[in-house]
Amino acid sequence: MITITAKSLRLNPLIQLKTAPKFRPRFASISARLDDSQQQLNLSVLRFTFGIPGFDESYLPRWIGYGFGSLIVLNHLLGSDSVTGAQLRSESLGISLAAFSVALPYLGKFLKGATPIDQATLPEGAEQIFVMSQNVSVSQKEDLAWATYVLLRNTNTTSALILAQGQLCVRGYWDVPDGVSKDDLLDWFKIKIEETGLSDLTDTLYFPQVGDAEFWRMLPQGTRSVLVQPVQIDPKSTNNETRNTEGFVLLASSIRYAYGDKDRAWIRAISNKLRSKD
Amino acid sequence: MEAGRILHIAIPWSPRPRRPRSSHLPNFPRFIRASSIQRASYKGPKPGRDWIADWVSKNDDTVRSLPIYVGGASLLAVLFNRAVSGIAPVADASSSQSRADLLTLGLAVTNILAGLVWLSIRPKTITPVDPQGVECQVIYPHLSQSVVSEMFWAWESLSAVTCCRSLVIVYDCKCIVQIGVAAKLQNDDNPVAVDAAKLMQGSLYQGVLKSGAQSYLANLSLYPGRSELPFLPSNTQAVILQPLGDKGIAILGGDTIRGFTTSDQAWITYVGDKLDATLAKYMSNKPAVVQE
Repeated sequence: MITITAKSLRLNPLIQLKTAPKFRPRFASISARLDDSQQQLNLSVLRFTFGIPGFDESYLPRWIGYGFGSLIVLNHLLGSDSVTGAQLRSESLGISLAAFSVALPYLGKFLKGATPIDQATLPEGAEQIFVMSQNVSVSQKEDLAWATYVLLRNTNTTSALILAQGQLCVRGYWDVPDGVSKDDLLDWFKIKIEETGLSDLTDTLYFPQVGDAEFWRMLPQGTRSVLVQPVQIDPKSTNNETRNTEGFVLLASSIRYAYGDKDRAWIRAISNKLRSKD
Repeated sequence: MEAGRILHIAIPWSPRPRRPRSSHLPNFPRFIRASSIQRASYKGPKPGRDWIADWVSKNDDTVRSLPIYVGGASLLAVLFNRAVSGIAPVADASSSQSRADLLTLGLAVTNILAGLVWLSIRPKTITPVDPQGVECQVIYPHLSQSVVSEMFWAWESLSAVTCCRSLVIVYDCKCIVQIGVAAKLQNDDNPVAVDAAKLMQGSLYQGVLKSGAQSYLANLSLYPGRSELPFLPSNTQAVILQPLGDKGIAILGGDTIRGFTTSDQAWITYVGDKLDATLAKYMSNKPAVVQE
């Protein structure tokens, strides 16, 4: 969800660039801005897109790595009988370069300013639900509804579950087993949460890739990353309770590495909203 | 600032020491089902550290130029290999040696181009400018406790997550909140008060209310409407004007040019909607306020 709309580069103090954001056609115009005494070198001409929907050009080095690597192997197998030492050296260099190219998109994902590559897809076979505990006060109901709505809209979340002050609110796409009716849905979720023991969580948990934890079974198929944020009790409050969390916010997404630093900071802020007010 | 500090202290996020991802998970005992959620300590798995992601984030610059060096070095290595083996550097596809060399050259060029593309998307780091002024915390006196705590929550979140250093909320011709750094009056150390009536007649407020959408002044020094916001520190770098329904406005002052990202803007819109709902409900419920 985080996109950078203006990018600029500093190769060395004398060259400053300002690049345009990604552009659609092959030969788009590039705007260059001349500063007083600085030379402009615009590298954004190297960024391009084929315009094929669903094809991500940042994965191009990976396809080229696979393609050329297999061609090198093919060349080796079909080549002349005697393979010289020079050819072997050249081929080994080529294979290692191919392996490096294949790894490039993965490394590029963690750089600052990289746009997220995957688009969130809806989990299959899941249905959209919105349930809340029965005995909530009006202000709590508004808070829970707003918090789940904002989290689903503004982050890459497909399924949200909030347990705060003993009240449960579940919204989004969840895999509900067939035998459970609407009324029993809350109880079913409560049972699942007890099984996982998430209520006593003290630290934030972030699983950016698929794991095989117990509580993953509760989540819909196709979940790829999960963030569990405990609701911390206000340290300023006057009660001296031994526990310092009172619930958690569980967010599941269908793409990997769904929650960046900014997202996590905002989710922490939203969880602070759900604290009990004394 | 204390309000901002609270959030930093209370929530340390430190990943647990790593356990290998393929390890067998511990079986924890099932607990007795009851109508309320049982308290049990969490024994499930903790996520392992992502070494590669951490390393790449720390050495951002090196990793960006890495493909260029790798590609350039292998380019030279191919030519050197040819020279050393006594083969003429002719680029034809006749022998398998030349074919292998050509493919390796193609890969080297791909790497160099990928490295250059990475260099082109590096975001520029802009240093934040410390706002000049005095800390203040002015809350409208007749608000209920829940509204005040919501205002404080909004301020704590915004100051902790975004580059916001001043927050002013005007609703229903009253200045509800003025928190953070405010401009100083000339002669003493008191903050400049917010003149709600004057603000509401100004062009900034009217424009924002008419469009109904958030207005982001990314570089405040370029905007002539700056004079309508005398209560913000003089060196505020960026300002977001968020309308609260059709009766109010929230003004956020930031300390970095273009400091509010697109996701920040989206979040601020939603927080503004929530504040508007709270304030509207409060205003319609409260008894008549004694006029001064």
